[in-house]
Amino acid sequence: MGGVFSLIRAPAIAFFGGFLVVGGWIWAPQISSLLPDFSSGVSSAGSGGSWFADANRLGRPETAPVVRSCIFRVLDLGREARKLEPSAAYFILKAGSMQASVSTLVGKSDKWFDNHTTFLASKWGELANCIYAQDDRELCDPDNRAAMVEATTKFFAFAKQAQAYKPPISASDARVIENISDRLVNALKNHRRYGTLLAADFGSFAPPEIMRVMREETQTRDICKR
Amino acid sequence: MYLLKRAAIFVGAIFVGVNLINYFVLGHTGDYLPGGERMGEWKAAKIREACSPALEHPERDGQLPRLSTDRHRVDWRDLTRAVEMTAALNCYLVTHPNAICERNNRAYIVDYINRYFAKFDEMLDIAKQYGEAEISTVKNLWDSPRNRAINAALMRDISSRRLIKADFGWTTPVAMKSMLGQYNGTTDNCPRA
Repeated sequence: MGGVFSLIRAPAIAFFGGFLVVGGWIWAPQISSLLPDFSSGVSSAGSGGSWFADANRLGRPETAPVVRSCIFRVLDLGREARKLEPSAAYFILKAGSMQASVSTLVGKSDKWFDNHTTFLASKWGELANCIYAQDDRELCDPDNRAAMVEATTKFFAFAKQAQAYKPPISASDARVIENISDRLVNALKNHRRYGTLLAADFGSFAPPEIMRVMREETQTRDICKR
Repeated sequence: MYLLKRAAIFVGAIFVGVNLINYFVLGHTGDYLPGGERMGEWKAAKIREACSPALEHPERDGQLPRLSTDRHRVDWRDLTRAVEMTAALNCYLVTHPNAICERNNRAYIVDYINRYFAKFDEMLDIAKQYGEAEISTVKNLWDSPRNRAINAALMRDISSRRLIKADFGWTTPVAMKSMLGQYNGTTDNCPRA
């Protein structure tokens, strides 16, 4: 009997641990908001807010109006695109990104994947650029903000992957990524100052380029406040 | 005694876990509908197969739900699901009006009605975050000629006792509660063999 218990002890602990981690991640914003002192203590550390984004700040990126305006400028899906919902096109881009991420995780890397990663970096970058080109106040909408956060984060993640490839990506591709990167960093700085973006919007595992901007810039006004 | 208690907790936890997985992960909500003379085995329902052609090309059916505007926040997966569910339920209730008289079909259709209304409620809850315009977009989406035909068929089936409150057990959709409450009795007008 003791053997049976020792057999289930490990999975039970694993389940409980997993529940704590996943549950903690999901409910942390609510718990964090219940503890004002803790949140303010963290924000004074310079991150510009609590560790976790306010649950209302980020919405659903796929249904964001800015995605509706931008996605077909970025993705050329041919004549069928007219019949496609913009949220479906966004999903296609995301699905392609997942494939590339999994390939990287399992250590698969060949020319096609290298090109694919560069392609994805440029697509997410173009999407982020298009979103930033909209009216600044558009990013006060939680869905738009979520789309922008996702596009920016994904661009920097794929750009880093592409730049780490051996043999290195072509000089022209590297220049394209660098140009997009510069533009995005400038836009991020502006939106950090306008208060449309906080460090917490990007979560704890944001690319260093984003965290640097969030740390170094300070909010000067809040364009979302009416 | 101590070991027995632990064993009981262990078996109980497995039982609860298996049922939670079955209900929430596998989505076999039909397993938890009331049993009895009227309700059969939802997995054995023949109507599901009979109606699969209705789901093959829903885009060709102009009477299925469509978005009335480009300015909306409806996710394409929700939109696709709304169209699919309407096409399927329309087939179960409107195209094959007597299908609900067969026990297995009734179990399957009751479960599907629950899912249909749950999806509508879910989409409406999301729309509420965006205000009146979005709420009316979602309501319009679910008010296609096929949806209206489904509502009419449901009224007909309830008034003829082909569907009764007891068929739904504790899962009665809110939208149907008042309809089901109006009619009592268990004698239906199904054709007898």
